[in-house]
Amino acid sequence: MARFLVLRLGLIVLTLFVISLAIFAVTEVLPGDVATQILGQGATPENVATLRERLGLNDPWPVRYLGWVGGAIRGDLGESLVQRLPITEMVGPRLFNSMILASFTFFVAIPIAVAVGIWAGVHRNSFGDRVASMTSLAAISLPEFVTGVVLIIIFSTTLGWLPSSSLVEPGTNPLTRPQILVLPALTLTGVMFAYVMRMARANVIEVLETNYVRSAVLKGIPMRSVIWRHVVPNAMLPTISVISLNVGWLLGGLIVVENVFSYPGLGRLLLTSIQTRDMPLLQSLSLLIAAVYAISNLLADLTYTWLNPRIRFA
Amino acid sequence: MTTINLNGAAPSVDESHVEETGHAPLLEVRDLSVTFHTPRGSVRAVRHASFTVHRGEVLGLVGESGCGKSTVAFATMRYLPTTAEVGGEIRFEGRDLNSMSSAELQSIRGDRIAMVYQDPGSALNPSIRVGLQIEEVLHAHRSMSRQEAQERVAELFESVGLPNPARIGQRYPHELSGGQQQRVVIAMALACEPDLLLMDEPTTGLDVTTEATILDLISELKDRVNAGIIFVSHNLGVIARVADRVAVMYAGQVIEEAPVRDLFSNPSHPYTAGLLSCVPAPVTGDGAVPLLRNIPGSVYPASAPNVDACLFADRCPIVQDICREQAPPEIVGASEGHPARCFFPERVNASIWGDPEPRRRRRREVGGTPLLSVDALHQYYGTDRKKFIFFGPPARRPVRANVDVDFEIGAGRTLGIVGESGSGKSTAARSIAGLERRTSGEVLLEGEPLARDVADRTDDQRAKIRMVFQNPAASLNPQLPIGHALVRSIRQARGLGRREARRNARALLDAVGLGGEYMERRPRELSGGQQQRVALAAAFAADPDLVIADEAVSALDVSVQAQVLNLITARQQREGTAFMFITHDLGVVRYISDDILVMYGGYVVETGPAETVLAPPWSPYTEALLSAAPIPDPDAEPSRIRLEGAVPTLRQPFKGCPFADRCPRNLGDLCDNTPPPMRVDPANEHHKILCHIPLEELAIEQRKAIETREKLVRR
Repeated sequence: MARFLVLRLGLIVLTLFVISLAIFAVTEVLPGDVATQILGQGATPENVATLRERLGLNDPWPVRYLGWVGGAIRGDLGESLVQRLPITEMVGPRLFNSMILASFTFFVAIPIAVAVGIWAGVHRNSFGDRVASMTSLAAISLPEFVTGVVLIIIFSTTLGWLPSSSLVEPGTNPLTRPQILVLPALTLTGVMFAYVMRMARANVIEVLETNYVRSAVLKGIPMRSVIWRHVVPNAMLPTISVISLNVGWLLGGLIVVENVFSYPGLGRLLLTSIQTRDMPLLQSLSLLIAAVYAISNLLADLTYTWLNPRIRFA
Repeated sequence: MTTINLNGAAPSVDESHVEETGHAPLLEVRDLSVTFHTPRGSVRAVRHASFTVHRGEVLGLVGESGCGKSTVAFATMRYLPTTAEVGGEIRFEGRDLNSMSSAELQSIRGDRIAMVYQDPGSALNPSIRVGLQIEEVLHAHRSMSRQEAQERVAELFESVGLPNPARIGQRYPHELSGGQQQRVVIAMALACEPDLLLMDEPTTGLDVTTEATILDLISELKDRVNAGIIFVSHNLGVIARVADRVAVMYAGQVIEEAPVRDLFSNPSHPYTAGLLSCVPAPVTGDGAVPLLRNIPGSVYPASAPNVDACLFADRCPIVQDICREQAPPEIVGASEGHPARCFFPERVNASIWGDPEPRRRRRREVGGTPLLSVDALHQYYGTDRKKFIFFGPPARRPVRANVDVDFEIGAGRTLGIVGESGSGKSTAARSIAGLERRTSGEVLLEGEPLARDVADRTDDQRAKIRMVFQNPAASLNPQLPIGHALVRSIRQARGLGRREARRNARALLDAVGLGGEYMERRPRELSGGQQQRVALAAAFAADPDLVIADEAVSALDVSVQAQVLNLITARQQREGTAFMFITHDLGVVRYISDDILVMYGGYVVETGPAETVLAPPWSPYTEALLSAAPIPDPDAEPSRIRLEGAVPTLRQPFKGCPFADRCPRNLGDLCDNTPPPMRVDPANEHHKILCHIPLEELAIEQRKAIETREKLVRR
């Protein structure tokens, strides 16, 4: 087990290294000079040259790469070119805000989705199952920006129950005004909920038809035990892989949702950094998102291993 | 399968009407019918079945695939899809199971009626420790503390002969061998000392050696537990070993019921007689093998309606007009004697299917180049892997699937290759066909070396070696009519024009008994036996010199198997095609082979002309295989050589003899640590055995064992 963990952590480091190279390479080949960007079109060539010198843009790329990566390892992500603030300070509260939104989806919506999926699978072809399947199909088909706008029209413009914008005062905690979180969380949940629910349902149905469930029924144990002891644990295995694959997708969803609701999270920051060509910020955010993705995959694998004795000792 | 009726709704039965137990038979099935209503029409899985089971007896339920025998077993458990319509009565101790509430069923299942399944690997939950899976049954039906339940589980494991009974419950199913898994399933069924045990093909899919040990356990159990047992199987040899009475099923009907000895010595239904004559018989003294007879045509389809006629009439050799106009007498439950669903039971005997002609084995030709010769064939998978990928102690060795395999196949002869799963027999076939690139060794076709990869061989060489696989459906393209594959093979191999090739394809289909009208059919419209005949026709299309058949008849019913085997022998006699026939069925090997190669753990342990391999001296492994094979004769005394454990994993190179750790004749240190020599039989230079024991000694010991056994039988 320890060996597995060490191996996987090593692989994550390797993955992040490759990704950092890729991010660096991409930002290198992008057109446009950062110094010109900062100083504006009217800047004199002398000023641009001075700034390039100060930013270290004249160094050969390996030096710059090592400087960047070395800083990242030490926890110093450099300085934002546009806002002139340390990136670490900018990212901190945004990361916290995004985590609140994502955790809601992850720890509230997914368990409910799994539960609904299990129920629908066990009561296959019942009225409730049909309703759940149809609703989830609709939810999967709609992209987040549509769901978000529809929710805004219903709950804030028409009914006026909830705010349409989720702006947070800098330096305050969004949890002090939970009502602003409801609509973004619901939007973010939509597709993922539907996807996970359908997956759980399909797996439950598949497991219900296995021979070992037949054995369990013919042992004469109560149906409740058959479901909870024999069906659910085995149906969860493929569901967990799907959930872990969806983490990356959840991160993508965050970018859209945060922008629709003007919520100050990582996604919004990412978009801003792209719009303002704030390269150091963009690089740092990309690396951070890659790290989150890699770690969540590791956690999913660990859960999978824990549930599946067949690969536990592999 | 569609949704399973897990709840089964029915009004509860008034207990006061229930007959006194003890008077009623344990299980009485009367006029049972099961019809599945599917969107594509009704499937009559069981048309009419009546029988009774008493305490302490084993009723064998035998028949070919699709005859409804398993459906009868699951109907007895009331475990059928919701699309099933069940008619008739199933009375368990006088109470009708069909009218029980789901709560009553739940209390009976696992407690009073328990089941053992085919394919134990899938019958156990992969993510729960096996001990817990049995404790569950005890908790459901007995109020027991955790401690008591664990003790009971250990007791059960001991009674089914599992090693280390106190600890093995901690294992997961995948950590047990197939035989051990089936022992766990049997222990699970015995947990609450049920009154009725249903066994659905419990040994099908296990290796012969494992099958023999499980059958020993079942025959021992039937004396120990006071339960009635229904034993469902397609294998007449297995039925002969364990059953007291046998009910034969055909097209959803019970067509004959008799005590086991009566049934085998004096079958009263033409179908039963036919089935018995389809099973490859043991060799006769002079080395001749009686030609198998086969039942022409195919089973009355389950989709066809019930008719007032004998459903076997179209295939019956003694059919009369009355058979097509009127239904023969039904077999009623609890009937005495030997009822048969036939108008003329007294006319039935073995010779109605024609007198068997002896099939002589071919004499070995002296001199000349053999058709195929294989010299020092090695096939390893994977390479050495170290603990830290590039350095450190070896963590993973290559799988040594074939080690130093040598053999020859003469033109027009059949080489049978036998061995348990994992013995390397299929690997050898695939290496020769060029589907696997051999690690080292020479393969010569008519003296010419063959390239490792089939892609590097000449068209001519490829045409000369053809392969037929176990699952014909998987080797035929489901989208194309079967004529297409044949025409393509013929054009590739013989360079004929389209029209000429089509004519040839029709002739081929005729030759395998299918007729030209099958050209336009698609594989799914054909039965398994017909598909296998198409696969054979496709192999013959290139006019090959050698056909490699890898378990080509293993999945077929005996009557179909006989058709295919006869097809192969006929082809061989007419065209002089040589066959390399891989199978785990010793009866089939005896029937078809001129020469036999026995493999174990990737090594050849015995080889020679069939009659020498089948008589002492045997290699200890061949001896064990032969004594494990079920014989379709209730009076045959099973020999007592049993192999424990499983086929080795082939990753660790063997220090001594590959068979040493399971060998009943192990000599100790010598066998464990020194590779054995390949000894040549002085009586026949082609007969070779891999063993440390001198062959004269082996022969004496083995003859002695046979004599003691015969004495036991006479007593």
